[in-house]
Amino acid sequence: MVSQTETGSGRPYSPAQVRRLTDFDLTLPALGLLILFFVLPVAMLLTRSVTEPVPGLGNYAELLGSSTYLRIFANTFIVSGLVTLVSLLIGFPVAWALAIMPNRAASIVFAILLLSMWTNLLARTYAWMVLLQRTGVINKMLLGMGLIDTPLPLVNNLTGVTIGMTYIMLPFIILPLYGVIRKIDPAILQAAALCGANRWQSLVRVLLPLAMPGMAAGALMVFVMSLGYFVTPALLGGTSNMMLAELIAQFVQSLVNWGMGGAAALVLLVVTLALYAVQLRFFGTNRMGGR
Amino acid sequence: MLLNFDRLGWWKLVLIGITLLTTAFLLLPILFIAALSFGSSQWLIFPPPAWTLRWYQELLEDPRWLDSAWTSFRIAIIVTVLSVLLGLVTSFGLNRGRFLFREALKALFLTPMILPVVVLAVALYAFFLQIGLNGTLTGFVISHLVLALPFSILSITNALEGFDKSIEDAAVLCGASPFEAKIRVTLPAISHGVFSAAIFSFLTSWDEVVVAIFMASPTLQTLPVKVWSTLRQDLTPVVAAASTLLILLTVLLMVLVAIVRKGLKS
Repeated sequence: MVSQTETGSGRPYSPAQVRRLTDFDLTLPALGLLILFFVLPVAMLLTRSVTEPVPGLGNYAELLGSSTYLRIFANTFIVSGLVTLVSLLIGFPVAWALAIMPNRAASIVFAILLLSMWTNLLARTYAWMVLLQRTGVINKMLLGMGLIDTPLPLVNNLTGVTIGMTYIMLPFIILPLYGVIRKIDPAILQAAALCGANRWQSLVRVLLPLAMPGMAAGALMVFVMSLGYFVTPALLGGTSNMMLAELIAQFVQSLVNWGMGGAAALVLLVVTLALYAVQLRFFGTNRMGGR
Repeated sequence: MLLNFDRLGWWKLVLIGITLLTTAFLLLPILFIAALSFGSSQWLIFPPPAWTLRWYQELLEDPRWLDSAWTSFRIAIIVTVLSVLLGLVTSFGLNRGRFLFREALKALFLTPMILPVVVLAVALYAFFLQIGLNGTLTGFVISHLVLALPFSILSITNALEGFDKSIEDAAVLCGASPFEAKIRVTLPAISHGVFSAAIFSFLTSWDEVVVAIFMASPTLQTLPVKVWSTLRQDLTPVVAAASTLLILLTVLLMVLVAIVRKGLKS
């Protein structure tokens, strides 16, 4: 009877008997879906970058040779880098606190992290559009406290994008970092203290190095996610600091220039995949982040 | 002792301070939008001069908002069903199979999750324009299914990895057919994975904006597309009302998940 359970190898095919479904066959519907509606369309788009309007690498020459587009690339990296840095600076102490807090307090913080993560992206971005506008609460508070005389431009610029994106990315850095710090044996820190290390020395020479793999993996994850972000930069950013994803959308939607759109998409894909390769190479197959 | 909460000294206060501020940073915008949705000010002045239900009334009386919410719901339900069924079949194949390239196949199935959505959106948009699926329900379902399937496969394979296959084999030894054993023994045991697969698939489709912006037509658009196109024009409080309802849905789903998890544990 056991031979009837699927062993995966399947019996050698013989025309006389009906071939039994193997385990590989079970993956075929999903594989078909992915090839037809994921691999093929992406390949077709990338092909158009070297065939339209004329065959050749003209689109790439234009994309990488124009200061307008290079500024967009630079801006994409600056925004992503800034968001990653701020998320890391805030995320590390929070993850650390979460790892050692009493359980009840920690579960409240976790619930708020999850609520923020699960709340509709547009709803969260809308909240920041309202909060940061010229007549918004933040400007009013700063004016009321006498810190500023005229409202600060907080939205449609780098500040707006950075605040809005950090808001979205924070949970993605706090959760994996929490996991890493949680796994560190407190006895190691105790040993450091016994050997005469003060708190700064313990932090800089023991805790931070031990948490480093988690920090690097989380930071890379947030950086890569930020590179391809579309909605939040489009709503909170200004025209002068467009990001790559917006450029791709603009090529396709407003300019109907599939060649350039495909070329820009390839640049984004290559950078993303290269960074994922780094992640796999240095941090194993560690999957980070949530949905 | 940096990993002992009670022996951190004044550092403890710093850590608690940063955590409190961050928690407030994460929570306040959500509460703020909920409060504003009941405020009477067209210009979203806070605190509002008076309270009103006007924006909810405008929202619920506008057929375009209702239509888009209904479209979103239909798409998300179809995607959830397909994603869970396909995820189940695929995960069984991946988990039980001993074939060549299994790991590579697994990686391929998860790729749509990590690639920038805008690339998939533009690629599918071009493809669907050619084969006439743009602006159709089928087009929406297919593109959201591509995005949701990785989460479904991930949740279900994780659950399958934690399941001892010899229990299923025992059922077969006791006379169940392999299929019957899977349905009556394995499926109940991995139900938590199937449940997360369903929730994640639903949320992926329901909240998806980027692909939907490209797929939408003047006659067929999802709720996020409606929010997006409204926001491109102005910051009307009607969006605050819509956002608040979306936040409420999130809270309900979180509570549901918590209840189911608790139920599964006991």
